[in-house]
Amino acid sequence: MFVTEMMKTDLVAVNPETKLSEAKSLMEDGNFRHLPVVDAAGKLVGIVTDRDMRDAHPSSLLDEESYQKTLKMVMQHTIAEIMTKDPITIAPYYTLQDTLLIIGKKKVGALPVIDEDGQLKGIMSTRDLLRAFVNIMGIEEPGTLLCILVDERPGQLKKIVDIAAEENVSMGSVLVARDWDTEKRAIFPYLLTNNVISIKKKLLARGFELLDPMQWYLDQSPKKG
Amino acid sequence: MGTTGFVFDERYLQHQTFNGHPECAARLTAIMDGLAGEGLLDNLVQIAAEPANQRWIEAVHNIHYIMKFEEACMWGLPDFEHQDNSICRETYGTALLAVGGVLKAIDAVMSGEVKNAFCAVRPPGHHAETNQAMGFCYFNNVAIGARYLQQEYDIKKVCIIDFDVHHGNGTQHIFDTDNTVFYYSIHEHPSFAYPGTGREFETGFSTGEGFTKNSPILPGRGDEEYRDKLLNDLVPTFHEFAPDAVLLSAGFDAHVNDLMSGTNLSTEGYELVNDTIFELISSTTGGKVVSVLEGGYDLQILPVLVANHIRKMMTL
Repeated sequence: MFVTEMMKTDLVAVNPETKLSEAKSLMEDGNFRHLPVVDAAGKLVGIVTDRDMRDAHPSSLLDEESYQKTLKMVMQHTIAEIMTKDPITIAPYYTLQDTLLIIGKKKVGALPVIDEDGQLKGIMSTRDLLRAFVNIMGIEEPGTLLCILVDERPGQLKKIVDIAAEENVSMGSVLVARDWDTEKRAIFPYLLTNNVISIKKKLLARGFELLDPMQWYLDQSPKKG
Repeated sequence: MGTTGFVFDERYLQHQTFNGHPECAARLTAIMDGLAGEGLLDNLVQIAAEPANQRWIEAVHNIHYIMKFEEACMWGLPDFEHQDNSICRETYGTALLAVGGVLKAIDAVMSGEVKNAFCAVRPPGHHAETNQAMGFCYFNNVAIGARYLQQEYDIKKVCIIDFDVHHGNGTQHIFDTDNTVFYYSIHEHPSFAYPGTGREFETGFSTGEGFTKNSPILPGRGDEEYRDKLLNDLVPTFHEFAPDAVLLSAGFDAHVNDLMSGTNLSTEGYELVNDTIFELISSTTGGKVVSVLEGGYDLQILPVLVANHIRKMMTL
């Protein structure tokens, strides 16, 4: 899945000369945490975050009068003065996996998506990324999660999928924990059904072990060796 | 000690699901055999069911949905909206009769003919949304019952307690913004169990904020967790709401023997659920309650649990 499918495209952008007062109300009204900054030609030149805005604000410890006076002055400054120039960007052909890794590595909250000409195409935020993974896991659709312990050898997943197919049940997603235990894997199919009795019976009859999900739920880390 | 009413109708067996489907007519046959075997049936006041008037279905469900459902049955389609929802030509009529049975039970309790009543009806209802069938449910029997109590009997505040192992998404969503109906559900954690809703942070919206309470139970857990959750989550919120009437979504699929779920509630654990809930009901409505069958798929344990549940109702 590419970022173009999940990124936000109805963007509100500002230019370097925009006053802080205007940017502040844009962010508050739209509930944005990131505001891209573009030049007259639509090229991305920077980004402003809600953190940048907060840093520009006078201290909340000032008395009311000094606070308002300073705030008034601050708000007349331009975006160019507080924006992060040349922010980290990604291209439309970036995948969700790319984005997941780069957001973790660079510790940013959002990534502008720009094309080869530097034109701003969208913004991919951690919120968009989370939404994408909710979608990938299929957990907004009604279903049941099974936790199955299998031997580490090829063809095991096929047997599970075959049983689901025999029972005419669709899968929302399948997670595989590869390092579950020595020579074992744990497979977590999310089945889009309430009707899991016959599937469970068939799995047991064909030699699979149904895990107590609590083992997985509480010690997330696989117990190797 | 008052009398306990009982709703059952042979026609509830006419809703036939595909071979091997857990929500099958044999569930009710097993319950009837179990109750007869325990000699309980003779001590219950039989309440005759009749199909609900469509206007009561419309009190909860969208008319287009109702028509679509009727049409699917008339066409003889194998299922409705999802393969879980297995149907036959008689399903629509049976679903109307299930709602009707609940309404008759409410009439019997409200008129004082009986103290309380258990409805051995199917198809079940708590997954049914305003405009969507889900998880073997077509019409939301209990939600319609709540509206009936309010509109026909001028009852202000209704509490629905749902102890089916699955979260009653339909019931919760129907009353999401409603501060006159308090919905409490205890069920297997939604990360593992159908339908994937019923998390602790789902508490209702806008005017209904705070009028929904969910107690998810992690798989593998049983009696102890149920006791803790009921005492800490249900008891105080129930008293705070102080309902004028109580309906139960009674599901018996949280039992350790029931393969449908991963929770390990024991037969004694179910007694604890009964005790806690019925004590609350005794203290507020003097034992008046209508309990409506939802799930419960192990044909050996289901009749035992239903018999225990009813036996407790008879002592109220």
